[in-house]
Amino acid sequence: MESTLADLEIATFAVDEVVEGTQTGWSDRRLTVSLPQLAVGAGEPALAEATVEVVRPGDRVRISNVLDVVLPDVRVSDSSVHRLAGVAVVTVCDWLAAGYTDAQELPTSLIDMGGPASDRSPWGATINIVLRCVPAPGADAAEVDSAIRREAWRIGRELATVTADLEPTETITVGGAPGDAGLPSIALILQVASEGPLVDTFWNGEPLGVFEPRIVAAADVLSGSLTNGAYDWPGVRNVTADYQDSALIRGLQAADGSTLNFAGVILAPGYLDGATQKRLAAGSSASLAADLGVDGVIVTTFSSGNSHTDTMLTVQECERRGIATVALVCETNGGLTDHVPEATSLISTGNEDELVEAWTPERVIGGQERAAVGERIAAVHFVGGLVQTGDARWTAVPA
Amino acid sequence: MDGGARMTVVHYLNQFFAGLGAEEAADQEPVRLDGPQGPGRGLAAAGIAPDVTLACGDDYFGEHEADAMATLLGWLDELHPDVLICGPSFGSGRYGYACGVLAREAGRAGVPVVAAMTPDSPGVLAAEGAAYIVPTGSNVAAMREALPVVASLAQRLAAGEPVGDAESEGYLPRGLRVNVLSERTGAERAIGLLLAKLAGDVRTEVEPRGDRVPPPAPVADLAATKVALVTEAGCVPQGNPDRLPTRHSNVWLRYPIADVDSLDPDAYESVHAGFDTTSANADPNRLVPLDAARALEHARAFGALHDVFYTTSGVDTPVATAARHGQEIAADLRAAKVGAVILTGT
Amino acid sequence: MFITALPTIAQMVGANRVLRGVSITHPTGDPSLAAGDEHDLRVGIVRRALDMLTVEVEPGTVWELDG
Repeated sequence: MESTLADLEIATFAVDEVVEGTQTGWSDRRLTVSLPQLAVGAGEPALAEATVEVVRPGDRVRISNVLDVVLPDVRVSDSSVHRLAGVAVVTVCDWLAAGYTDAQELPTSLIDMGGPASDRSPWGATINIVLRCVPAPGADAAEVDSAIRREAWRIGRELATVTADLEPTETITVGGAPGDAGLPSIALILQVASEGPLVDTFWNGEPLGVFEPRIVAAADVLSGSLTNGAYDWPGVRNVTADYQDSALIRGLQAADGSTLNFAGVILAPGYLDGATQKRLAAGSSASLAADLGVDGVIVTTFSSGNSHTDTMLTVQECERRGIATVALVCETNGGLTDHVPEATSLISTGNEDELVEAWTPERVIGGQERAAVGERIAAVHFVGGLVQTGDARWTAVPA
Repeated sequence: MDGGARMTVVHYLNQFFAGLGAEEAADQEPVRLDGPQGPGRGLAAAGIAPDVTLACGDDYFGEHEADAMATLLGWLDELHPDVLICGPSFGSGRYGYACGVLAREAGRAGVPVVAAMTPDSPGVLAAEGAAYIVPTGSNVAAMREALPVVASLAQRLAAGEPVGDAESEGYLPRGLRVNVLSERTGAERAIGLLLAKLAGDVRTEVEPRGDRVPPPAPVADLAATKVALVTEAGCVPQGNPDRLPTRHSNVWLRYPIADVDSLDPDAYESVHAGFDTTSANADPNRLVPLDAARALEHARAFGALHDVFYTTSGVDTPVATAARHGQEIAADLRAAKVGAVILTGT
Repeated sequence: MFITALPTIAQMVGANRVLRGVSITHPTGDPSLAAGDEHDLRVGIVRRALDMLTVEVEPGTVWELDG
């Protein structure tokens, strides 16, 4: 796809410090926030309670029952997004305490701001605006979840809006470089899972459901079209921030025109229910990649279990069409969840079963139960630490 | 900082390095000596002095392994060491083997172990990953280089301090994988790896393991064979009366089916958390094919159907747990003289 | 032997006799069939499973239902 115009410009405004004040504003890498002005929860009947507080790296705080992480951003024009960097909106909801027994399937989900495990989640290093929600009694889980997601985005927008007329600290542009025939052409196959309320992924606000692999615009992925509503294994599944700030898209974009041609993004489903469906979807992704004329693809994985089969079949179908593959997968104590002989280049995002040192924080936000206070707990319970989109730095090595 | 006030360090050597004689003393029975011997003095100079040295002849160990091990493990049990150091045995086959076996059993008994030998030594396989093995050159000329690495690992293990990954620390991989923070994100590494692959350099950060059991011989006489049904699809009586976990199950259960010809949807359900159980709950035979198995039993396609079926939920089950379940169920099946299993899974 | 809709995972963990099941959610059934046909399918699956138990196989052998 050739274009001399950028599809999207993301202007980022670095935040090194967040202080509370009477008026929300950003200047000189400092964000001032008026928490009362945010009026969290107002106008969301599905939420009985919504509170917001700021936590900072080094605080002896464990955030528990974490759902999602959203970067504060706002669209200022068709082609421009302003985003705060170094700050994240973290949503928290103790479903079990609110009586949603289905949620007992949701694993412990943590971010440690201090202590020995603070580097197990990348979000231990950001200043977090923690939005803690309590569902209204009897409210439908999907509606509560919608309300929480709406609030997170609204808060993010309100915070980012204050940068509207200001100069950013950095700008990323997406799109723009014409293809160079001498460079290898590479596409990204981004795997997501849409399995229903609380285990869902949304495109422009709608659940993806069982969908055919399709080409999507990288700019759309970065600017909020793709959002997460899946709250299963926190270490290895994606958060919305992993789409907004996709390290793979940014990396491919940065290399576009110099060491490779970035051919585009294919959105692909994980956890399809049958071997035939999995094979067909893998074949579709591979065909789309072939249509894009790529030499190679990078395939991501969503969470653990049989999504790894979707990844491996996709690798196989691509390699059989002469498309070189690299896939990102996490490991378990038992090794790889699935493998095919064609998967000769894998990135390991770490061993999800590794036990992490116990910690007793001074405070837990989000519910003491299932916060594993003072207990060793597996790495998979720390949000985003082993994410198989490559946004974090954990990996596993022989020992 | 030797085997200090509260640390006990034990060193295992063969007859030669313990100063008991060369090849003529290879049949030396296990012996227990005070303080460092031979290379143990080098360990002391490197900062960790053995309190006790255990020595055994290479041939004696090879020909009387059980006796030698009983004696050596008995001593270790009395001494309760904070760390056991074996060798260095360099390229020696018999000595390396002895070091590896002792390392394995001591390791399994909870003693941290450091050994040192060539990477090809039979001791490496014998140790089965239970020890930190420092790779050495093939003969005693490699002693100077090996001792400080051994000493450093041994000190930290004895003190209960963490030890890093194989490459950083300089020991042979034990078959484990530990998490480390890379300097680059997975994304950066992925892009680099793909460009390398396209340039002909195929590399990977992780590979599948091999721990394979060869296929058992085929059933010789099916008409005389008892067949059992086993499932990891979480099929249980309605209401899950024994509370089979829906995921991360640390138990397996078994239920009688002697008088059951078919899994009735009113009587059975699936509690497996990893898949949509709707169609299975409408007809549990779709998970555990009892009705079909019964029909074939009546048609004498095989000897008899075992009078229980076995069930667990195979979701997020650690491999070690699943392996244990398999072994336990297999033991139960063998006791019941079952000759073949049809295992169903999702 | 092992009936599963995900034979590659089974091969991965060392299963030697694997029969590809119908689907993850119904390895030994097919709700789209009429009851009688589904029973016949299931009897056929178990027959094939029994066949697999009586033959020599290479490690990690996968059979399809129609073979």
